[in-house]
Amino acid sequence: MTVAAPGQLNLEEPPSWGSRSVDCFEKLEQIGEGTYGQVYMAREIKTGEIVALKKIRMDNEREGFPITAIREIKILKKLHHENVIQLKEIVTSPGPEKDEQGKPDGNKYKGNIYMVFEYMDHDLTGLADRPGMRFTVPQIKCYMRQLLTGLHYCHVNQVLHRDIKGSNLLIDNEGNLKLADFGLARSFSSDHNGNLTNRVITLWYRPPELLLGTTKYGPAVDMWSVGCIFAELLHGKPILPGKNEPEQLTKIFELCGTPDEVNWPGVSKIPWYNNFKPSRPMKRRLREVFKHFDRHALDLLERMLTLDPSQRISAKDALDAEYFWNDPLPCDPKSLPKYESSHEFQTKKKRQQQRQQQEEAAKRQKIQHPPPHARLPPIQQTGQPHPQIRPGPSQPMHNAPPPMAAGPSHHYGKPRGPSGGPSRYPQGGNPSGGYNPNRGGQGGGYGSGPYPQQGRGPPYGGSGMPGAGGPRGGGGSGYGVGAPNYPQGGPYGASGAGRGPNMMGGNRNQQHQQQYGGWQ
Amino acid sequence: MEPGGETEEAEAAPPRVLAVLTQVLERLVARNDRIGPEAERWPENAEDGWQRRQRGLAAFRAARPPSISVGKYLERIHRYTGCSPSCFVVGFVYIDRAVHRNPGSLVVSLNVHRLILTSVLIASKVLDDMHHNNAFFARVGGVSNTELNQLELELLFLLDFRVMVSSHVFESYYLHLEKEMMWSMTNQKITRAIFDDLQDGEAKGSVNDANQCSLSSPYHSID
Repeated sequence: MTVAAPGQLNLEEPPSWGSRSVDCFEKLEQIGEGTYGQVYMAREIKTGEIVALKKIRMDNEREGFPITAIREIKILKKLHHENVIQLKEIVTSPGPEKDEQGKPDGNKYKGNIYMVFEYMDHDLTGLADRPGMRFTVPQIKCYMRQLLTGLHYCHVNQVLHRDIKGSNLLIDNEGNLKLADFGLARSFSSDHNGNLTNRVITLWYRPPELLLGTTKYGPAVDMWSVGCIFAELLHGKPILPGKNEPEQLTKIFELCGTPDEVNWPGVSKIPWYNNFKPSRPMKRRLREVFKHFDRHALDLLERMLTLDPSQRISAKDALDAEYFWNDPLPCDPKSLPKYESSHEFQTKKKRQQQRQQQEEAAKRQKIQHPPPHARLPPIQQTGQPHPQIRPGPSQPMHNAPPPMAAGPSHHYGKPRGPSGGPSRYPQGGNPSGGYNPNRGGQGGGYGSGPYPQQGRGPPYGGSGMPGAGGPRGGGGSGYGVGAPNYPQGGPYGASGAGRGPNMMGGNRNQQHQQQYGGWQ
Repeated sequence: MEPGGETEEAEAAPPRVLAVLTQVLERLVARNDRIGPEAERWPENAEDGWQRRQRGLAAFRAARPPSISVGKYLERIHRYTGCSPSCFVVGFVYIDRAVHRNPGSLVVSLNVHRLILTSVLIASKVLDDMHHNNAFFARVGGVSNTELNQLELELLFLLDFRVMVSSHVFESYYLHLEKEMMWSMTNQKITRAIFDDLQDGEAKGSVNDANQCSLSSPYHSID
């Protein structure tokens, strides 16, 4: 054997990933459907344990194994925490196929690859979107504390999540919240000099420093996203629903005031500061806008939505905030109401059928008598998503536990249509390619602006992605693996085609396209 | 923490790490070719379910040795893909890990090229925020897109998806490579017999965590 065999770490991790077949699991139900793959709820035959199986589709020949999957696997192998989704193993579908002569050909891998995750019943956005859902204050504190605990663990382990949003926060019926979808995550070091891509984080949750083009950043980017989610939980709807990067910045400035060298030393050195420098200074209005929040919540939110990332509160300090230590205290996750089991096949099937019927009815209606105000959100026809705000009172979160609502609370890919319950968010569908708030759809707009189209390669996967829409529209809860969408180009042509700095943007774009398919 | 991660100027002179890697890999291959020229052939009548772990590096085996030298091949990959030097070090870590996990496997002249190409491809996906796709790498490396995709999967499974390389491990490999380089520069004229003995000793003593660097050992795959 090898000289160095003793103590070899990787020999101590049985069973080897990829050694088992997906046949060890019995697929129960498809719980997500995307352009690029499916997610199934499944039962491990030997143990009876329920898991989520996420298929990694391998059919993009040019890309090979999806980079988001590689990165997610790499990071999740290292992270083990109760508030971080657990990747249990990787399994393959039946192995190498025989070639024409019937000879086994190990070079031909035709099977599929699945990531096996622990099963989670909901995601935060899906849960919040349930008709009639009202979170209680102790419940919000409970979720927030778990979110911060998980994120603190990531940051201590030098991992930036880079895509914190409601649909990536999975919740089980024990009330546990776990961070998921690490496809955009990466390791960082405090002394890291390298530049990081600023094309990360779903637009509505993206911090000002990334919008201003910084390529040197740290854990504070995730904390901004947490602040947005916190405010959204309290407020009942997304607080900064920008349609594109400039508008996103404007919304931030309107709420948080404009940055200057006083409140954010060094801001004028950030690459695109001058492009976005507001014509007139604006006052910070956070306390005014959210004056209905309780005092401790507002204090904490203030420190999360701080413009200057170096002054923004860390996950650790946020956990020490008065908010979590004053009445009403965060509740025990186990005491939270259990929402109806989300994936009863029949329930879902029924819902789907219902939806289909209604969609068809709506279509028929449209064809026959195009109504002046279609009931479907305009995005589906025009690519102009306007968040459809949930009707009804949006603030009181102090009510009694919500009534049980039927149906799964994951984001499914299919547009919910008129009857799918009130939807707070723009729904999928951007057939015109007009615009995509997720770094996509850059075709027109501001190619010469502060978000330069890189001449050296196609920075984006392409606009006009069918199904792409608002940052959190239809789908994509956190089991997502983005589709690979990396630059193409021959070795000899186009001088290093595609090595522009916007790769992740392109990738992300694709990823979102995919997410409209559901939990991919 | 991850080492490096961003692209260097591809037009500049090839980074020194390529020369070091060339030395280390060529020496390894020369030795292993003498030890086990017959190793790792795809069995004539292997069962359908022939497991990856038993296959070892068989998928990487070329029909005949490629004519391009290891050094030129590394340079070519660097020139066209512009991968950061870190990718090459991490690629080396992957090859080492793969060999470790498959003790019957030898890096030989028939498989070294494909191992390099595949490991650097994976390293670039793991490390660099921007990178080329498999189709591009395949053209640079002179294999088909389909084959490279298969090799990529093969190596990922051989590695058990252990693609994270901590800065500590990275540094220890890097130091090891440096020492290898120094060593070979000062010992070029020593005869082969002495060379073998010396290298054995030097390899064992060169890195604190010897099991991270089995490639350095001349006998890493027999025993």
